[in-house]
Amino acid sequence: MRTDAVRGHLDGLLLAVLEQGPLHGYAIIAAVQQRSGGVLDLRTGTIYPALNRLERLGLLSSSWESVGERRRRCYALTDAGRGALAGERTAWHEFTTAIGSVLNPSVTPRPAS
Amino acid sequence: MSAVAPAAGDAIEEYVVELTGTLHGPTQAKTRLIEEIRDGLADTAEALTHEGLAYADAVRHAVRDFGTPGELAPACQRELTIAQARHTARSVVLTAPLLIACWYTLLGTGAAAGHDGPLQRTAHLLAVCLAGAAGGAALLAAATLAATGALARRLPTPHRLPLVVAWAGTTTSVAMALAALTLAVAALMAANWPLIALACSLAAASHALTAPSARACRRVARLPA
Repeated sequence: MRTDAVRGHLDGLLLAVLEQGPLHGYAIIAAVQQRSGGVLDLRTGTIYPALNRLERLGLLSSSWESVGERRRRCYALTDAGRGALAGERTAWHEFTTAIGSVLNPSVTPRPAS
Repeated sequence: MSAVAPAAGDAIEEYVVELTGTLHGPTQAKTRLIEEIRDGLADTAEALTHEGLAYADAVRHAVRDFGTPGELAPACQRELTIAQARHTARSVVLTAPLLIACWYTLLGTGAAAGHDGPLQRTAHLLAVCLAGAAGGAALLAAATLAATGALARRLPTPHRLPLVVAWAGTTTSVAMALAALTLAVAALMAANWPLIALACSLAAASHALTAPSARACRRVARLPA
């Protein structure tokens, strides 16, 4: 599942993988792929402008950290980011419930008329 | 910075050079974004070599999975354009009140000297117009900083906002240049010229700060993003 299919959900995915703690760019990509069982195969470059945007919105904070001889930009969730993640989860739950109700009408209780 | 081998490093550098040539924006923001992308490519290539790929293949895979510079550029440029708009907006917010203070200095000096000739009246009219324009530009710039910051979580950023900010910055820089010119003339004629000369220097410095930022903002605002 490439970037086109993920578009619109990228912010939520990035916020979710940072919930456990700060990560740098490549680790974020690896975490998305690992947690999706390899199904979500992002155009890896697309996450960098997305991370910059989320930081501008105050949902992430970032700092340079030295790892061996390298310097990497690490991102962490802010309080506002945790709030936004909760909102993304609620919206996703409502969306999948609604789609599920249409795709599987037999297993979904219908509202009383 | 990178731990990749030279041959692979070249392929990554080629990618980075192409992307660097495509993107425009504030130096600090652009450098940071490009550095992150370079490190991301190097990390990806390194991880693939640990999975058993030959180094050159690992770099090829890393670059392919990353997306071409053409695919990546619009999203990167959008962020850099907003970064430039915010940079210009900050310079306007900082310098516009200074312009108003400069005019007050000039008018206060003229009033204190008891001058009320045609020159003073013209200077007064010019001061009111330019101070009004600078005040309007400062309010717009402050709104831009809010609209592209935390407020952008709730409201989409208007696509043309960077261009509007660019012209607000241009207006402010022109107002600063006119203020500096007028203050320079006034300093030549006034008895207490040191204070007016100081205001003139501040107006000139403010013009030097806002003009390049506004020019850069006009340029990036026209780029596709």
